Amino acid sequence: MTNKTLTGAPLHPAVEIYVKDAQTGKLSRREFMARTTALGVTSAAAYGLLGLAQPAAAAGHAQQGGTMRMQMEVRALKDPRAFDWTQMAFVTAGWLEYLVEYNSDGSFEPMLLSGWEINDDATVYTLSVRQGVQWNNGENFTADDVARVITDWCDKNAEGNSMAGRMTALVDDVTGTAIKGGIEVVDAYTVRLNLPQSDISLIAGMSDYPAAVYHSSIDRENPANTPVGTGPYMIESNEVGVKAVLVRNEGHEWWGYAEGKGAYLDRIEYIDYGTDPSAWVAAAAADEVDMTYETVGDFVDVFESIGYERSEIASAATLVIRPNQAAEVDGVKPYADVRVRRAISMAVDNSICLELGYADRGIVARNQHVGPMHPEWADVPAIDYDPAGALALLTEAGMQDFEMEISSIDDDWRKNTTDAVAAQLRDAGFNVKRTIIPGSTFWNDWTKYAFSSTNWNHRPLGTQVLGLAYRSGEAWNEFAFNNAEFDALLDDANAIAAADERAIVMAKIQQILVDEAVTIQPYWRSLYRHCKPGFVGWEMHIAYLPQIYKIGIAA
Amino acid sequence: MEELSWTGSFASTLIPAIMIAFAIFLIGIILQLVMGFFASEVKLQSNTDGTLKSRGGLQGQLEKINTQLFMLIVLIGAAIIVVSWFMPYGKAGILGEIIKRFMPVWIALIVTFAVSIFFKRKLGLYGKLFDSTIGMIGFALVMFWVFTSIFVGFFDLIATHDPLQQISGIKNKTPGFLVPDGQEANFFPHYLLGGDNLARDIFSRVVHGSVIVMLIAPLATVFAFMVGITLGLPAGYYGGKLDTILSFLANLILAFPVILLFYLLVTPEIVATGLPNYMGAFLFIFPLIFCGVLINSRYKTQGKKNILYLSIVLVPLALIYLMVISDNASPLVIWPSKLDFITIPSGILVVFVSVVFVNSPTVFRIVRGLALDIKTRDYVAAAQTRGEGTWYIMLWEILPNARGPLIVDFCLRIGYTTILLGTLGFFGLGLPPESPDWGSTINEGRKLLLIYAHPALPPAMALLSLVLGLNLLADGLREESLKD
Amino acid sequence: MGLFILRRLGVMVLTAICLTFIVFWLTNLYPKLEVLAKTQGNFRMSDEAVISYLGNRGYTQALPVKYGQWLGVVPGYIIEGSDGEIRSKCERNSPPTDETPTFCGIIQGNWGFSTVAKEDVADVLPTRLGNTGKLMFWVLMVMVPGALIIGVLAGMREGSRTDRSLSTVSIIATATPEYVSGVILIALFATPLFGMQYFKGTATSAMDNITFNNFFLPVMTIAIYGMGYIARMTRASMTEIMTAQYVRTARLKGVSFANIVIKHALRNALIAPFTVIMLQVPWLLNGVVIVETLFNYKGFGWELVRAASNNDIEMLLGVSVISVIVVLMTQLISDIGYVFLNPRIRIS
Repeated sequence: MTNKTLTGAPLHPAVEIYVKDAQTGKLSRREFMARTTALGVTSAAAYGLLGLAQPAAAAGHAQQGGTMRMQMEVRALKDPRAFDWTQMAFVTAGWLEYLVEYNSDGSFEPMLLSGWEINDDATVYTLSVRQGVQWNNGENFTADDVARVITDWCDKNAEGNSMAGRMTALVDDVTGTAIKGGIEVVDAYTVRLNLPQSDISLIAGMSDYPAAVYHSSIDRENPANTPVGTGPYMIESNEVGVKAVLVRNEGHEWWGYAEGKGAYLDRIEYIDYGTDPSAWVAAAAADEVDMTYETVGDFVDVFESIGYERSEIASAATLVIRPNQAAEVDGVKPYADVRVRRAISMAVDNSICLELGYADRGIVARNQHVGPMHPEWADVPAIDYDPAGALALLTEAGMQDFEMEISSIDDDWRKNTTDAVAAQLRDAGFNVKRTIIPGSTFWNDWTKYAFSSTNWNHRPLGTQVLGLAYRSGEAWNEFAFNNAEFDALLDDANAIAAADERAIVMAKIQQILVDEAVTIQPYWRSLYRHCKPGFVGWEMHIAYLPQIYKIGIAA
Repeated sequence: MEELSWTGSFASTLIPAIMIAFAIFLIGIILQLVMGFFASEVKLQSNTDGTLKSRGGLQGQLEKINTQLFMLIVLIGAAIIVVSWFMPYGKAGILGEIIKRFMPVWIALIVTFAVSIFFKRKLGLYGKLFDSTIGMIGFALVMFWVFTSIFVGFFDLIATHDPLQQISGIKNKTPGFLVPDGQEANFFPHYLLGGDNLARDIFSRVVHGSVIVMLIAPLATVFAFMVGITLGLPAGYYGGKLDTILSFLANLILAFPVILLFYLLVTPEIVATGLPNYMGAFLFIFPLIFCGVLINSRYKTQGKKNILYLSIVLVPLALIYLMVISDNASPLVIWPSKLDFITIPSGILVVFVSVVFVNSPTVFRIVRGLALDIKTRDYVAAAQTRGEGTWYIMLWEILPNARGPLIVDFCLRIGYTTILLGTLGFFGLGLPPESPDWGSTINEGRKLLLIYAHPALPPAMALLSLVLGLNLLADGLREESLKD
Repeated sequence: MGLFILRRLGVMVLTAICLTFIVFWLTNLYPKLEVLAKTQGNFRMSDEAVISYLGNRGYTQALPVKYGQWLGVVPGYIIEGSDGEIRSKCERNSPPTDETPTFCGIIQGNWGFSTVAKEDVADVLPTRLGNTGKLMFWVLMVMVPGALIIGVLAGMREGSRTDRSLSTVSIIATATPEYVSGVILIALFATPLFGMQYFKGTATSAMDNITFNNFFLPVMTIAIYGMGYIARMTRASMTEIMTAQYVRTARLKGVSFANIVIKHALRNALIAPFTVIMLQVPWLLNGVVIVETLFNYKGFGWELVRAASNNDIEMLLGVSVISVIVVLMTQLISDIGYVFLNPRIRIS
């Protein structure tokens, strides 16, 4: 272990603070890994800083060759920047790779980059492009490609481009494109990003599933038509809703072979069994698939009963069942009154939601959308479960006869959890109506429903989701929560580096969320994948990232 | 208090007895079937007093034994019902407790059957039903669910729990599971048929589901018949252009795959456009037209009586009509909202309208065919020469004479509508997700079928028994009406 | 006869036009288009983006114009979008070239483009129809002989014990919709729950390779429901024939019972079921939709559900055209067949 950082540069000054915090237990290991590796520390070195050895890669025991069949929805592909389902990325991951990879232990590993350096105030990023990487059409992969893709990411005007939201610091507010001079090609293998203000989340943004690096010849309507990429596989067929097949790209010398990265399988098949988990079980029982994409709720037991192995990862993925404070029902804004919202929170026992909604597969949360898995989490108690008091409060607000309409998407766990909330409210004496909306329609108005449930995926930092969803005026603020004090505190929390001080601010933030009863956020769910015995490297990823090159058949 | 077993203290006595009897009965039936293929032809011979000679030989013996066995099974069944009523709670097992819960239904059934059989000669076609075993079994099955829905819907009997209540700890628990402590005093202590995926009582959901099915299916069928009759009679009677156009429209709807039609109509977007309300406004006017024409054609010549009858029937109907179709939440508001006492939830309205819409063309075709046939009869010609109005002939001459096939089709169609409702539930269209109707509960239950069969089977069996009952009833009615 | 068929074909075309227009109208309502834009673009798209997306792709034109374009009687649109790109219908939203045809509708043989499958409708539908064809074939192979045997046996001796038992069986079959029988069959034979795991609970693999194991349950699920009805019709027609004059005469002459049934009654008794079977084919379509969804078999019914739930307009229209043709063709065949089988009827 000669270098502690990917590029050999000295450690970033913030790393020292993180090490202290981690040693005193203020920073979880996952968070420590995320923060230090994002600053360019190698993951081995990051483990070393904690006095630990890096866990050996399990995939070392894989044999070369073989076929893997995964149950997965096969969706129509589109411009990678606009991907809104990780399933799409699982298909394109065969030939489109990522600059950086985020792992379940929280660390960031370089992929198409060989490393990066960040200056002290996180305004200048120097990205070193991996040398010796080739596109599968024979061209060399260079800094120009990286600059081109990042420029594309910053294009806010492209329909559905969600990468612009991850690259905000590089986007010009006026033109909606990359700021002038922001992306600079220094030499054939170096790109420099110059940001107007500091932002430490760029590396994390580059690791997300829409951040696939594509060739300039890409067909944005359907990338499978022009599968030019750097990855080890080639698409054989892609029948939407039926099946997608990746096969090894024999003529292409993948850079990862030399690095010992893997790509063990010769053939990967994604077979679509629809959205109904019982069909997945039937497929597994009939030996038509080897593993699931994701197993939810009750079906964890079912898969185990037919002899499948389980991979489980505790995550910050969750569900919020929230009233929209600005929603008007029959001319009034029922949920603008904090008493109504408090009454709702008091009438719901989160542990029952977890039991009935997700088969007790997770940990109970406290309606704060920040949890023990986040480094900045403060131990703020939840509101007390008190159905009688809830009704009294609702009556006091004069809303005891108001019919609350609670909407949810039509699926398994989201619907069940929402049903459990509705039933508890009804038990407490509220007047509740349940509405179910098919998956294809649900997202039309997801931020505008008066009272509905939405799932939120895992994000490494607690403040990331608070900033996205709870800050006043944000596009994804489905709560219509508008609180200046909260916004100010959130800015503070983003700036403070030491865990101690941040905990004080976070305690205030979480207390506001509890006092204002912004949402019911009943549990943190664990994510599961099941696989037939005999495979390695197939573990569930905390953020559903498509690391298919790690999968292999056990030797 | 402990968990209930299936059969409780009957386990060692009556249940084995009924099982053995039933097994022998089945074997007997099969034997008879097999022998029937080889045996010589049946030749019925009459005694001198005019009665039929009983059949001799092995076959005759078998038949006798089987009849007696069947009586025995019925008797033991009745005994179980009676005995379990006098047993203390929990002793009679799950079956016994379920039987007890259905006690009002048993009483109503027995009263209905006793009264009907006693007066059967005075009750026309309905009375004749009690001459046919098949018809009686069908009638019993149908009435079982009719009474259940009445007692559940109006009197809140039978069901043990609220169909939406969830109790922590009973998720997916097997039948007879004990409710945990900490409930109120009068709380029913067991989930008789277990809990579903959301810890709700399956038994209560099934009986509550009957209310929804019994509310929508027959009513939708009635509406479909009103539409079909009102359009089918003139189409068949007049023929010509009217017939061509109406038949074309009916065939057009019939050429639609039903599920495609449902998918197009029963979606939130279409509900938001108010299309179901407009369709409802169109379809629901037919009962008004039908009743109006029915009365008017008969009493046209008696001015005062005509107006009196018309106003008695039409004014309330028109009021209900206006209140039903006007809905503040939709674009169709034609009635002041303060006077709007009836609001049908948009989910139910769209399901109802779609089911009526799908069924009407078939009824139309049947009625048209019957009208074509009957209009050539002598009594129609007689009425024509009497100078009766055409609507009088259609409604008071043709329709009553077409009632036999129509009643049979009505029974079958209710069954078919029930299946359609289930299909909607199966695709998750229409009714709200928590609704205990059988289609939705089957759909919910099938998702976990591989580990827990108990949530899906009771609603499936309920649906099966109702549809079967309606089919048997229709069969019995057909046979008896053919004997006329 | 020729004229009769010609007239029926005319009605068929008219029905298809009316029907597709209704489908077209229902799928082109604005909320439906919004769904389409959001599934195609991005689920979390803003309202302005939806409008420009739809406008650029010709969805905001007047309904009759759009329908005419689909049909191929109105020139396909060429729109210069708000994003500066020129899109033409006949080039799948690429800029038009010199060779771009003016009309590109179904009359020109252009079935349109499936927005969900990202393929031409004309490419997708044949594979789906092929899959459903296989399923239908086996269903008919099981259902028709089974139903005829049950019906004939039951109708042979009306009122006998055999008749009663078989009639009850067929009534139970008609009272068991596919979603009930399918669920019960899977629970019984495809799970380890009852120790009878003989078959597979999905038919996905049957698309490539049909085996007894993976195809038995779906076929039986459809066949059971359809069988009851045909059996009852056969029984009714058989009992009628058995009481007919010529059969009575034959019996009086002392012809054996078996001979009567096989030589005299059977042929005539099968005329009515023939029409019923033909008319049953469109009804099977319903069962096909449920079974293909339940067993995850990617045929025509599955495509219908997918297209309908994603508002895949041109695919839905293609599906409607096909189903109208199937329904009306089977009606036509049953009419013609009835005439051929029954010499007493002549079409005037």
